[in-house]
Amino acid sequence: MKQHPLCSDCEDKISPMDLPIPSGMKKEWAACESRRQFLGRTGKVLGWAALASLLGEASLHYRAFASDPNLQTGSGINNLALPHFAPKAKRAIYLFMSGAPPQVDLFDYKPNLVAQFNNDMPASVRGNQQLTGMTAGQARFPIAPAHWPFSQHGQTGTWISDLLPYTARMADDLTFIKSTNTDAINHEPAIMLMNTGSMNSGKPCLGAWLAYGLGNMNDNLPTFVVLQTKTNPKENNQPVSSRLWSSGFLSSEFSGIGLRSVGDPVLYLQDPAGVDRDTRRKMLDAVEEINRQTLAEVGDPETNSRIAQYEMAFRMQSSVPELTDLSNEPESTWDLYGPEAKSPGTFAYNCLLARRMAERGVRFTQIYKRGWDVHDNVVGNLPVLCQETDRGSYALVTDLRRRGLLDDTLVIWAGEFGRTVYSQGGLSQENYGRDHHPRCFTVWMAGAGVRPGVTYGETDEYSYNVVKDPVHVRDFNATILHCLGIDHNKFTYKFQGLDQKLTSPVPAFVVQGIVT
Amino acid sequence: MSVATRVASSAGSLWQRAHQGRRGWIGAGCATALILLSLLFVPLDGRARADWLQFLGRFHPLLVHLPIGLIVLLPVLETWGLRRPSLREAAGLVLQLALATCLVAILFGLLLAYGGGESGSTVTRHLRGGILLAIELLFCMAVRRTWLQTRHWRAYFTLLAALLLTLVWTAHQGGSLTHGSGYLTHYLPPALKRYVAPSAVSSHPNSFFAKHIYSVLDTKCVSCHGTNKEQGGLRLDSYESLMTGGKDGIVIAPYNPDGGLLLRKVTLPPSDPHFMPAEGRTPLTPDEIARIRAWVLAGASPDAASVPGLFIAGDGEEAPPPVGDYSALMGEIQQMQRLQGAKLIPVSTKPADGLILRTTDVAVTFDDSQLAKFQRFAPFIVEAELGRTAVTDDSIATLAQFKNLRALHLEGTAVTGRTLGKLSSLSQLSYLNLSATKVTKEDLTPLKSMPKLRHLYLFNTSAEPAAADNGIRSTQ
Repeated sequence: MKQHPLCSDCEDKISPMDLPIPSGMKKEWAACESRRQFLGRTGKVLGWAALASLLGEASLHYRAFASDPNLQTGSGINNLALPHFAPKAKRAIYLFMSGAPPQVDLFDYKPNLVAQFNNDMPASVRGNQQLTGMTAGQARFPIAPAHWPFSQHGQTGTWISDLLPYTARMADDLTFIKSTNTDAINHEPAIMLMNTGSMNSGKPCLGAWLAYGLGNMNDNLPTFVVLQTKTNPKENNQPVSSRLWSSGFLSSEFSGIGLRSVGDPVLYLQDPAGVDRDTRRKMLDAVEEINRQTLAEVGDPETNSRIAQYEMAFRMQSSVPELTDLSNEPESTWDLYGPEAKSPGTFAYNCLLARRMAERGVRFTQIYKRGWDVHDNVVGNLPVLCQETDRGSYALVTDLRRRGLLDDTLVIWAGEFGRTVYSQGGLSQENYGRDHHPRCFTVWMAGAGVRPGVTYGETDEYSYNVVKDPVHVRDFNATILHCLGIDHNKFTYKFQGLDQKLTSPVPAFVVQGIVT
Repeated sequence: MSVATRVASSAGSLWQRAHQGRRGWIGAGCATALILLSLLFVPLDGRARADWLQFLGRFHPLLVHLPIGLIVLLPVLETWGLRRPSLREAAGLVLQLALATCLVAILFGLLLAYGGGESGSTVTRHLRGGILLAIELLFCMAVRRTWLQTRHWRAYFTLLAALLLTLVWTAHQGGSLTHGSGYLTHYLPPALKRYVAPSAVSSHPNSFFAKHIYSVLDTKCVSCHGTNKEQGGLRLDSYESLMTGGKDGIVIAPYNPDGGLLLRKVTLPPSDPHFMPAEGRTPLTPDEIARIRAWVLAGASPDAASVPGLFIAGDGEEAPPPVGDYSALMGEIQQMQRLQGAKLIPVSTKPADGLILRTTDVAVTFDDSQLAKFQRFAPFIVEAELGRTAVTDDSIATLAQFKNLRALHLEGTAVTGRTLGKLSSLSQLSYLNLSATKVTKEDLTPLKSMPKLRHLYLFNTSAEPAAADNGIRSTQ
């Protein structure tokens, strides 16, 4: 056996590959070598390597399984036995409002608060909760009622802030959960929990689980696409990182593929001048051949992912230009999404792309909109944020519906937590701020699998604590999986000695009150 | 009551002397029968008496199972006894026990009816049934002696058959009293239900009231507020009587859930004397209460098909029939994928959920002849994703063979709609997408007869309904 280029130890030891042992065992040994390389480089202790290979065998075995291109899901009965039951939704679009929208100002209508303007919030409401460093030192917690009026909409009479005139039009089509709650009070852990079911990094996100479990519906486009919305520098933009669309311990081919919000959606999409498709193909075939050799030698399952990704990139060279070419969109599209949708990187543009991807069989699209972190100047920033997102969300749901796609598409609108009813910093009639609030926030869903027009869960009169039907983030994720035909308890992946799942080991429950 | 005790004790002394001879038997039997018949005249005035009468009476549902078991046992022993005579000896004892327990059950039942203030035709029928049973048992005892001596079996076995029939009828009346009259037939398959339980619920059998409110009233309320009993002068067995209310006032106030007695009483603490359903009957579930509340809030309409924002599991479309098992064809299915590029995807791991025909990757080249090759799998295909493919009107005839098709995507194809009528044989089709095709309004006429077609999409066609702001969906 050739020495792996990165491995510098055991130069003159006997390789297991030379021993008269079954080829299956040799394969296993080869599969363990990625772990061995690591240990070899750091400690150069063969004993540790042997121990690691014994302990790590199971996890590596599964890892190799996930990456084997012959076991790709999505065609024929797959080895994962998914979906567990006939799904209502084939695909999902997740509008992620990063930074946490203030539920008190948008959906959680509390008319009684107007009379309590600038009153101190009763200490009993907060209980012994630990606040963030940003407001923990405040001398008082003055109640800041929503600055904008609410109105009732649709047959259901749902109360929605006047800041969201477009969302209000589809009040009867949406399913609101007002009692969503989370464990984390800061952005990074909360947004990780929302996306991956764990505050620590290293776990696969919802999209990666779906890509792994349900597979693709279109060979020429990624299964899981992430779209970033161009940031507005006037807003308080919390960073979002690729951890949020990472595949964690699953093979990296299941991680989200980001399309850029400025310039070409994918870099180097065009072949360089003078290189035609055939040349490109030949080059890739050669690269694949080399990669296969490396795979046979080193057994690192990530090599498989690399092969798959080269192939996907090649196919995307033709599918992405078609996807992003909006010249054939009828006039009614622009009437619906608004002129903003013509400029790449806007939320409306991303919503339009999401609809086009839904038509073309992308399993899961996640659109990130940053800037909702309104610690101060709510009155100045919130109308802008709403104006940026309101019409796009409405247009997406409406467009999906009129084209017959909402029957098998689930749309989700959510942030990572809520915001406090009390003002952070000074409160005046003109302005206020709101701090992070994990105990309750409002999210909405629409489309396949959920009951339109339902408002689920209730908060207390301060929009502070959940008083009825709490929905933890884990329950929320379990519900999303349910809509896609997956029993979250059965959808597991062995890693580090645990049957890992999106909803973490803590029990989670599908919100039966909102699913059809 | 003292009179009754004295009469009963004198009948008892008659029984003590009965073994002395045939005349003694007849005397004791006739006396008992007379007492039983006189019970028919006990006044059931609907006035509840909360005392020891009712306390004892409530043991009736328990005691009543003793005679039931014994009476069912009787013909078994007698028939079997034709082969094994030892069993026939036991039958005599069982008969006597059946009579004794039957009398006790009648006594306690009477206490329950009298003390609990029961009235109504079902109670009366149940009482009559019980008394008839006891008298039949007496006859059985009389006839059995002759049977044992003469082996003349016809009369005795006819009597036994009558006994069983009476038992079933009486027990059913009793069951209707405790569980409500619709209890047995509630989950009867709809096809049979038509014959058994004519639903005179309302003139709108598909209304929210008929489907979701009436069923609650029927199981939880009508046993006391219906044709059998009319407690509080209130009947809840039809929309009209529900809205009329009872002696204490209106029970349903449209748009005002707290304005009517019904929602007020069912939400009282169960310990409250005014709590309904009374007398330890099964209370309404929170879900049922929420359902009624939402319905009242929306105006308590007799004919509205749905209440905004309220969904009930299993409502709407009934589940489509399962398709056959395609597992045996799995090899061929995978081969088709390799040859055609179009895929047959299992909906779920359960074969009964069927297959999806997915053409996304080869849409441009997927034409009528390719579709025809999938005809072999037609019975298993529940969804055909043919959007933006090269199929034409010729494929409609092929698709008409896909009997289990529930969803059909034809958006952006060259289909013109001239042949759409052929699809009307697809009885399971509920989703049809004809967006961006050349269909016209006239083409759609034959689709009107399709029973399950709920979602018809006509975006970007000349048949598109004048767009309401957000809705292009046309729902039949």
